[in-house]
Amino acid sequence: MGYVAVTAGEEVIKRAEDLFEKRRVEGNDDPVEIDQVANQFGRLTSQAMGEGGLYAPRLAARAVKQAQGETTEAAFLLRAYRSTLERWDYTDPVNPSDMFATRRVSPAYKDVPGGQILGATKDYTQRLLDFGLDDDTSDPTVDWDVDKESPQRLQNVMDVLREDGLVADQPGVDEDEPFDSTREPVLFPAPRSAVLQELARGETGAITALGYSSLRGYGSVHPTLAEVRVGRLPVRIEHPYTGDPVEVTSTEVTETEAVVPVYAKRDDPRFAFGYGLTFGRNERKAIGMSILDASIALGGEEPAEDEEFVLDVIDGIDSFGFIEHLKLPHYVTFQSTLDRIRALRRRAGATDNAEPATAEVSDDD
Amino acid sequence: MTEDDQAADRSGQAPDSFAAAANAETSDTSSRDSAAGNSGTANSVDGLLASVDDDGLAGYNYAYLDEHTKREVRRAVLKAIAIPGHQVPFASRPMPLARGWGTGGIQTSLSLLGPEDTFKVIDQGSDESVNAANIRRLADRTADVETTTDTTDASVIQTRHRIPEEVMTEDQILVLQVPTTDPLRKVDGSDDANRRRHAHKNYSKMWVYLYENVVEWGEIQIGAAYPVLVNDRYLMSPSPVPRWDTPKLDDADTLFLFAAGREARIYAVPPHTDVEPLAFQDRSFQVERFAEACRFCGSRDTYLTEVETDDGDRLFACNDTSFCEKRQDNPEIEKSHHLDRSGVEWGPPPARGGDDA
Repeated sequence: MGYVAVTAGEEVIKRAEDLFEKRRVEGNDDPVEIDQVANQFGRLTSQAMGEGGLYAPRLAARAVKQAQGETTEAAFLLRAYRSTLERWDYTDPVNPSDMFATRRVSPAYKDVPGGQILGATKDYTQRLLDFGLDDDTSDPTVDWDVDKESPQRLQNVMDVLREDGLVADQPGVDEDEPFDSTREPVLFPAPRSAVLQELARGETGAITALGYSSLRGYGSVHPTLAEVRVGRLPVRIEHPYTGDPVEVTSTEVTETEAVVPVYAKRDDPRFAFGYGLTFGRNERKAIGMSILDASIALGGEEPAEDEEFVLDVIDGIDSFGFIEHLKLPHYVTFQSTLDRIRALRRRAGATDNAEPATAEVSDDD
Repeated sequence: MTEDDQAADRSGQAPDSFAAAANAETSDTSSRDSAAGNSGTANSVDGLLASVDDDGLAGYNYAYLDEHTKREVRRAVLKAIAIPGHQVPFASRPMPLARGWGTGGIQTSLSLLGPEDTFKVIDQGSDESVNAANIRRLADRTADVETTTDTTDASVIQTRHRIPEEVMTEDQILVLQVPTTDPLRKVDGSDDANRRRHAHKNYSKMWVYLYENVVEWGEIQIGAAYPVLVNDRYLMSPSPVPRWDTPKLDDADTLFLFAAGREARIYAVPPHTDVEPLAFQDRSFQVERFAEACRFCGSRDTYLTEVETDDGDRLFACNDTSFCEKRQDNPEIEKSHHLDRSGVEWGPPPARGGDDA
């Protein structure tokens, strides 16, 4: 008989892991060092940290290496690790204008206080494959003649509009304690702090796609960005003895604030507001997040405007797992489905070789 | 309630040792040996980093989850038991397994397990499925439990999409992995709207859906995950178990826990609760029927799946591999062979003269 009962177990799992690890070494080249990943693939580690909800550049680099470059898998490793860590304290809220910005552009105004700072970007570079990249270790900025002046704080462009009373506050600005979506289940309608957390940890591609859906016409939000910033935000905690705020470290973040001219939806003609913030450098995600934040706040019938829909599908770890679970065996449920299909066909008078029945048989697995 | 007491007893089990695997991998165990819970692991940055570099599970708490999380899961379980069939939200933690692969089940199992327990994991009826093996391995490595493939030996069984063929007892807990928590999702994608329907016991959309099934196809087309009414109050998905297993939930001796990690819900069917599949008077609930017996053990009273062999043959085989092996040794063995009574109802009644297709 050709049939062999499907037995697998731990030996097979181990061998599958071994084969996966073999891929890392079968090229016989030098192993990639964690520092190399951290320093040379900052965009990958940024994405992993943002989606993992854990700011830890070296752990992220390790995760990226372990995942052989797959960012969702790397984010997953970070989240699983993060969930085992003790929660010691919460940081003090920090004002975005405390950021030491290395890049700040304001599409809303030609000139803004503090000026436009292009910073490190390839936005305006022609996308040509660089065949001279291999051995290039020189620092192209080594001869730059820059002043050693201390960095200045940049006024938020949004503050200019706020001072004029042109921007409506989002609900939730007076929430004392932020909701912690990693410790409490999110129910709807969710507080805005929960929405922002879920978006900030959302999968970059999903945020981009849903944000784009609004721009593409499935929604009414087409924002003007007050500014996009990349820089370091101080992390401050309350000193356990003195009670004074103490800066303990800083995190690199990308932040954007957007205004949305949909005053028709409001009695008081003011700009609606959208906010985006993510760890590391990930401007696309921050901007997409600001579109979704504004879309959810304004509401509507389109997918990007439905809070429950957006938050249900935005999480990369959730969607990753459930999409890939379809690889698991399903023969029990499939047998149940076969039983229904055959019963419906018998009732319809079909024989096994006739046109297939078109009934949709569901098993929800 | 006995099931409450049972769960409460388990919740009171304070772990007094780490999993053996946790200590075996590290040479620097001095800071961890005395530590109860993961507070010890976080005492120093060095300790944390050391644990990151380890390929074992050093540095993790007993049964992987921290005690606070396990207590929270047990509270959700107790609440679920108190309101049979009601979906209780809980803060599902990221696990080292992919979401949709049994993370709700493993969080629940790990919250219940103590060193005295014997744990069995089945996936689609098989102990040997790779995912079942992976889940069993996690419990084995972190919770230091005995594992078994024998249904009658286990105190806690985690399962995906099957209820075992052998009769389960009041000393056992079955943890079912749930992919889609709400049967109303068939008629409305919004859980928010469906929570309101549950609150009002408003299941009219579901009844209309079933009625339209009958009008369009002559019968109800739902395969697995057949919706049931629990305790005459809550509409519930029994998880995608085949209809064959659905009657086992009704008035059972066992506590059934249903856990969905990705959807962050836990619900329960306590022992001796009424569980009624939705059906019409003239369109009764039907289980799967099989034209043949199991090719290996000859059973006609078990759930079979059909197998296409390399040589083009199609045969039927028991899905519950553990029980099938027992039947191969002894074809006369009853599903209640391990009990001190016989004639226990467990699963569908024997098929009558082929009237239910």
